[in-house]
Amino acid sequence: MLKSFVRVAGAAARLSSVSRALPINCPTLCAPSSATIRPFTRSLWMLNNNGASSGYRPKLFSSKVLGPSVSCGCEGLHTEGDKAFGDFLSDEIKEEKVIQKNKSLPKMTGGWEVGMNGTEVKLTKHASGDKITVTFNVNNSIPPNFEEEAVEQGQSQKSAEEEPEIVSTPNFVVEVTKQAAKHSLVFDCHFPEDEVSNAEGEEESDIFAIREVSFQPEGDVDWKETSYTLNTDSLDWALYDHLMDFLADRGVDNTFADELMELSTAIEHQEYIKFLEDLQGFVKCN
Amino acid sequence: MGVVIRNLQKVVPLRRSRLRKDVDTLRHILGIQKFDLGIICVDNHKIQQINNIYRKKNVPTDILSFPFYEDLRPGKLPCPLHRDELNLGDIFLGVEFVMKQCREESVDLHGALTVVTAHGICHLLGYRHETDEEWAEMLQRESYILSEFSRLTGQQLESLMKRCGEET
Repeated sequence: MLKSFVRVAGAAARLSSVSRALPINCPTLCAPSSATIRPFTRSLWMLNNNGASSGYRPKLFSSKVLGPSVSCGCEGLHTEGDKAFGDFLSDEIKEEKVIQKNKSLPKMTGGWEVGMNGTEVKLTKHASGDKITVTFNVNNSIPPNFEEEAVEQGQSQKSAEEEPEIVSTPNFVVEVTKQAAKHSLVFDCHFPEDEVSNAEGEEESDIFAIREVSFQPEGDVDWKETSYTLNTDSLDWALYDHLMDFLADRGVDNTFADELMELSTAIEHQEYIKFLEDLQGFVKCN
Repeated sequence: MGVVIRNLQKVVPLRRSRLRKDVDTLRHILGIQKFDLGIICVDNHKIQQINNIYRKKNVPTDILSFPFYEDLRPGKLPCPLHRDELNLGDIFLGVEFVMKQCREESVDLHGALTVVTAHGICHLLGYRHETDEEWAEMLQRESYILSEFSRLTGQQLESLMKRCGEET
């Protein structure tokens, strides 16, 4: 809950820093309207402090608050809002690091090799001649209904310890390649959103589900839209069960899905903290 | 829709296709192919939770049945008027609980799941075992189902009620 709240609050802080900072720190913007579209440069600040334009400044603005509160050599804008934003981010990063369970990523059992490229994760293993590759991206992998749940939890006045943890449930693609075959069998899988439901009459979903199945050229990065795609929405359930058993035989079962969720959650959190640090660095220009 | 299988647990590796095949054979024996049926496989924690909510028994168990028709006369199939009512209800299978029993008794898991599911379907069809008469009636029905199952598949299975006298 904290993280999602802070994300919203962070966006609000960014907005407020712009609206609050301009009248205080950029008095020249109050003069000609054309100034609002001028790029902010070091020369602008110099003008404010001791340049020829200082004579045009209204008395109101010629106080000690005129200069930027933070300065560095980046020649960019530094406002009170930026400072507040930077301080806020600093606190947020500290808090996120406290709740980060472990700095090292959780291990996948079952002999999977883990490879990462930014937010994209690739898991690979070999099973009796078959090569199995699972890929997922941690971006946009937090279910959108999380915030609603968090609000409901808040309304019931539960303590922070009881708040639901943010869980990353990315869609993932399983690619099974047989040695002799020209094509890979590709499963587009997902975590149904009502997976975390209670026992009081709500529909229960599998931990993970297959959405689509198709053959794709092996190792082809582009999804071939012309390949027939089996959609599981209207599929014979018996065929669906065989497909699930096929995946389970290759190590993609509920245990795997659970571990994938844990791994994705850890990576998403790691990337979030890294983003906040980058953001902090960007705002501070250190 | 037929039989909807959901596997909500990760403790027991399940063969979904095998479970479906066995449940389909049971449906065939009972002549209930036109009815929908839900089979939800859960671990001890989940079935204990459900058992506590609905039966006030805070212990894990092997099966819990939730009939769509609650006042059926045993052995009488419902006569629904609408397609939506072609539904017998849901069965929660405590697969972790069943697996533990199987290990203790060196019994095949899927065979045991068939026996437990047959018991659950009987409950969905109105059978009870609260009195001696009900018990005898349900035992007779289960024994018939499992003997037919054995005849069709070659698997020898024994009624759950014969094996344990406790309420399930």
